[in-house]
Amino acid sequence: MKINSIYNKVDWQIQHLGDHAFVFLLPAIMNENIIAQIMKLKKFIASKKMEGIKDLIPSYHSLTIVYDIQLLKETLYESFVSIDMIEFGNKLLTDYFNEPIFENKNKIENEIIKVPVCYEIEYGIDLKNLSVLKNIQVEEIIKIHTNTIYNVYCLGFMPGFAYMGKVDALIQINRHPKPRPLVPAGSVGIAGEQTGIYPMNAPGGWQIIGRTPIKIFDPIHLAKFNVADQIQFYSIDKATYLATNEYPTI
Amino acid sequence: MSITIIKKGISDSIQDAGRYGYQHIGIQPCGYMDYLSAQLANYILNNSVTNPVIEIHFPTSTFYFEAENIICITGANFVPVLNEKSIAMQTPIQVNNGDVLQFLQPIHGRIAYIAFQGELTNNKWLNSFSYFSKRLELDSKLEIVKKEITPKDPTTLVDLFETIETRVFKQGVFQFIPGPAWNDLDQPSIQQVLNNPFKTTLQSNRMGFQLKGPSLNLISPKSYLSSAVTRGTMQLLPNGELIILMADHQTIGGYPNLGQIILVDLPRLAQLGKDSIIHFSLTNVDSAQQQYQSLQNRFTN
Repeated sequence: MKINSIYNKVDWQIQHLGDHAFVFLLPAIMNENIIAQIMKLKKFIASKKMEGIKDLIPSYHSLTIVYDIQLLKETLYESFVSIDMIEFGNKLLTDYFNEPIFENKNKIENEIIKVPVCYEIEYGIDLKNLSVLKNIQVEEIIKIHTNTIYNVYCLGFMPGFAYMGKVDALIQINRHPKPRPLVPAGSVGIAGEQTGIYPMNAPGGWQIIGRTPIKIFDPIHLAKFNVADQIQFYSIDKATYLATNEYPTI
Repeated sequence: MSITIIKKGISDSIQDAGRYGYQHIGIQPCGYMDYLSAQLANYILNNSVTNPVIEIHFPTSTFYFEAENIICITGANFVPVLNEKSIAMQTPIQVNNGDVLQFLQPIHGRIAYIAFQGELTNNKWLNSFSYFSKRLELDSKLEIVKKEITPKDPTTLVDLFETIETRVFKQGVFQFIPGPAWNDLDQPSIQQVLNNPFKTTLQSNRMGFQLKGPSLNLISPKSYLSSAVTRGTMQLLPNGELIILMADHQTIGGYPNLGQIILVDLPRLAQLGKDSIIHFSLTNVDSAQQQYQSLQNRFTN
């Protein structure tokens, strides 16, 4: 399977997703090159500012377009008398691959976003359990979690919640079978290959290993992270956490 | 001018056509559940069909009007009364300063809509008045700048009323378009979905409708990379049950996506109470979009 090469038009699949969405797909792998390609296509389509396209949702190997068929028809009436979305998707792909600006950029260059996390046991409430289960010292878990550079593969579950991967196999752990009724905002968790931060207080089943003092979503600035961003955590002590905490205490 | 909530209902909210354009950062689209009834109420008042309306469930809030307005009630029949006198649905109703609007009992349906004339000046967030899980509370106010428009004459709309009534409240199968995991279902499960009844349950809300029915299985266990879901997505839960996602759905899902209920059938699902029997049938994108457009064309001019 091609992972590090540039994808050609033939590598993309287009599928309907019901009567008001369709999806562009690359091979189903969690991979930074694939998500970068997904984001490139997203930027290209967004730059067309087509009325009738309501949402462009990237996730891992897919880009979903949510559309309003009536508005889109009005926009495209000239070129599509009877509009078939797969045909429309194909035309977007053709235009995308013909556009020189988008053609030669293999990788979107990102700065690595550094995120502070306090891994004290009182915030990382599942750290001890993880340490016992995996037979790894807590210090070692922190080292592994902070040494990895993560990619954001999608935002979902709640506003601003970024799914990041890939978590080192040594510290991968499944979600709790039963979600906790309340996970505090800023909590950093692990679920299988993924790590993420709870943007607000919410019920949830991720294994919590620490807490960040920084806000990752608010109604004005919206989400701190975008899909395909690169993120690295670093450890801070409790005093620093308390001094820089942006969340109201509960 | 304002409308004030003087008694809190179980789950009432302001809804419009929803907040699109932000699903890529995980913001749920929201918006009216039964968009046909909401559109109808606005249409009768000669509003834009995407105007914000009040979406109510029984037992509903009680509404106090602080100025005159013209309102229109559609959707579920909860027996509306103005100053304790019965009023008609699907009809422009003149209300005056000091009037009180209540709803007495649920006759049929799950959700009703109240449209009003004028411009709502409450806080909008990212181009929409629909808020995820924000409900009308005691003393909540709808601030409205009045605009005089002549409503339509409902006696000229009998055909349209019948069409909407049929779409929203009459029995009928729920048409869906197969999704990415449809072919991962084993053959008996495919037959179950196509031939056996499912039932709505108490686990039905603005986020989704969880169904009871035959347990469904994949040919072999499979995990999927999460991808976008939509209003109408049929997800297979780990316990073999189905959930249909509704207006407040999460933006991304990792459960097997078996298909999407088409837009024209979603208002009817939204109006079903618990233990209602539902049947599914396959359709395709062309048919679904034709049905949707011919319905939407009824709301032009």
